[in-house]
Amino acid sequence: MRGHSQQWSRWLVISVLLMRAGTAWAAQPQIAIITAIDGPQLTLDQNTVRNVYLKKIFVDGNGQRLTPVNLPSRAPVRVAFSHALLHMDDTQLQDYWDQQYFQGVSPPYVLGSADAVVRFVATTPGAIGYVEPCQADASVRVVLTITLPAHQADDLPACPEHPAP
Amino acid sequence: MNRHPRRFSLPGAAALLLGLAYASGATAADDGDGSWQPAPYTLGQGLYFPGVGLRVGGYADLNFFSVQGTKTSYNVRDLSLFITQDIGTRWQLFSEIEATNPVNSTGRTDDDDAELDIERLYADYHANQAITFRFGKFLTPVGEWNLVHADPLTWTVSRPLSTSAAFSRHANGAMMFGTVPVKGNDLDYWVFADDSKNLNIGRDQDNAYTNFGTTETLQNNFRQAIGGRVLYHVLGDSLSVGASTLNYELEQPREKYWLNGIDFSWTSRYVSLTGEGIYRSSTSHSPDERGGFVQAEVPLWRRLYLIGRYERYRSSTPAQTSTIRTTAINFRPIEGVVLKLEYRDGSHNELLAPTGWLASVAVLF
Repeated sequence: MRGHSQQWSRWLVISVLLMRAGTAWAAQPQIAIITAIDGPQLTLDQNTVRNVYLKKIFVDGNGQRLTPVNLPSRAPVRVAFSHALLHMDDTQLQDYWDQQYFQGVSPPYVLGSADAVVRFVATTPGAIGYVEPCQADASVRVVLTITLPAHQADDLPACPEHPAP
Repeated sequence: MNRHPRRFSLPGAAALLLGLAYASGATAADDGDGSWQPAPYTLGQGLYFPGVGLRVGGYADLNFFSVQGTKTSYNVRDLSLFITQDIGTRWQLFSEIEATNPVNSTGRTDDDDAELDIERLYADYHANQAITFRFGKFLTPVGEWNLVHADPLTWTVSRPLSTSAAFSRHANGAMMFGTVPVKGNDLDYWVFADDSKNLNIGRDQDNAYTNFGTTETLQNNFRQAIGGRVLYHVLGDSLSVGASTLNYELEQPREKYWLNGIDFSWTSRYVSLTGEGIYRSSTSHSPDERGGFVQAEVPLWRRLYLIGRYERYRSSTPAQTSTIRTTAINFRPIEGVVLKLEYRDGSHNELLAPTGWLASVAVLF
């Protein structure tokens, strides 16, 4: 009887731990990197996406021009993206783009909303964007998901109910 | 000072920009299916015309200086126009047309210093992810300063001697550059060949000494050159370490030189440090030329910075060692606008960087 009870206790502890882990995982905010369905011929790991956004990589393997797009500068998703992937704050990015502008290289286009990013990426060959995973619909392909630190969960807007891709 | 001085037509440039701005509005409307629009114009970004892949921008700076041996003066030193044109998916054209000293007030009434130059003119071909080819007239890739020397982008009004005195600031020819991953970090590289003897574009003269108040007029245009530079980024881009090497022949004096340089940039929350150094030897009996600087940038409040720089440079013409100390304030009140005030002094600096006050207002537009 005592052994049976111990077994139940063990299962209970494991279940609680799994539930806590699941809750923690679910709370981890994420950003989805999206391209068109037949997107660029490029292996998009974090470093490559970073160099595309910093305009150090201009074309994919087929010579298709890459077109990264940004959300507005104060958008929480963009701030999180810049910190997580570009490792730069607003000031550093501004200085970087001022220098690149002098070289004839312009910063990524800025679009007004996540919906605009999804529509632009879906219809523009070579375009790359970032949105919250719940905002990526079936018209685009999620090529990379970046998990952000848990403390940034409160900084990101609540995700509207969209059908997952 | 330079050849082919010409008057710069401000009304013409204004008309061109207005015309393009009108065209931009039309293009944006044509593009619009309601799904997306490019961001509105802001200073420092240029005017973008997405329908034709064209961007027009530039910068201007108004300088004031009061240094030993010259009259107190102000001038519009540079008025530059950038034009960037995408051609297909792989090609891009870039030009920088610069009006130097279009407005000058030194008590003189002539405008002999005013000129219009093609500062840069090149075509880029993006071959693949790691290689871009550049053909035309471009900035010589030695150190960091020469590649971003425009007044709105530099911390101080004056320019360290080691960034201009020993080599031509421009090259005419071909360059290959890009970024490759090395051990998990980015390595930027540039390799170029210059043939100014046959390809001189713009035909302006590269002055070795660019500081306000200097009367030295040494020019060091390349006749032919070959060289390269690497820049390795570590610690999440907070530290960059670079090295440059150049083998070249100057137009005048017609001598061959070998130049090696190193540079670094380290950024932290409370202070940033940058530095460059060069060593140039000659195949003839000319004395070696060497020197460098270390500079600290300290953020004081928002985008107000205190700058301190120490520089030492051994020049061959004139043959002397100059020591220059610079203390400056750099303030960026809004995006694209930079205000600078600095005081410099030193020893044996009278000829190349005279002691005194300098200030500038620069706008990247």
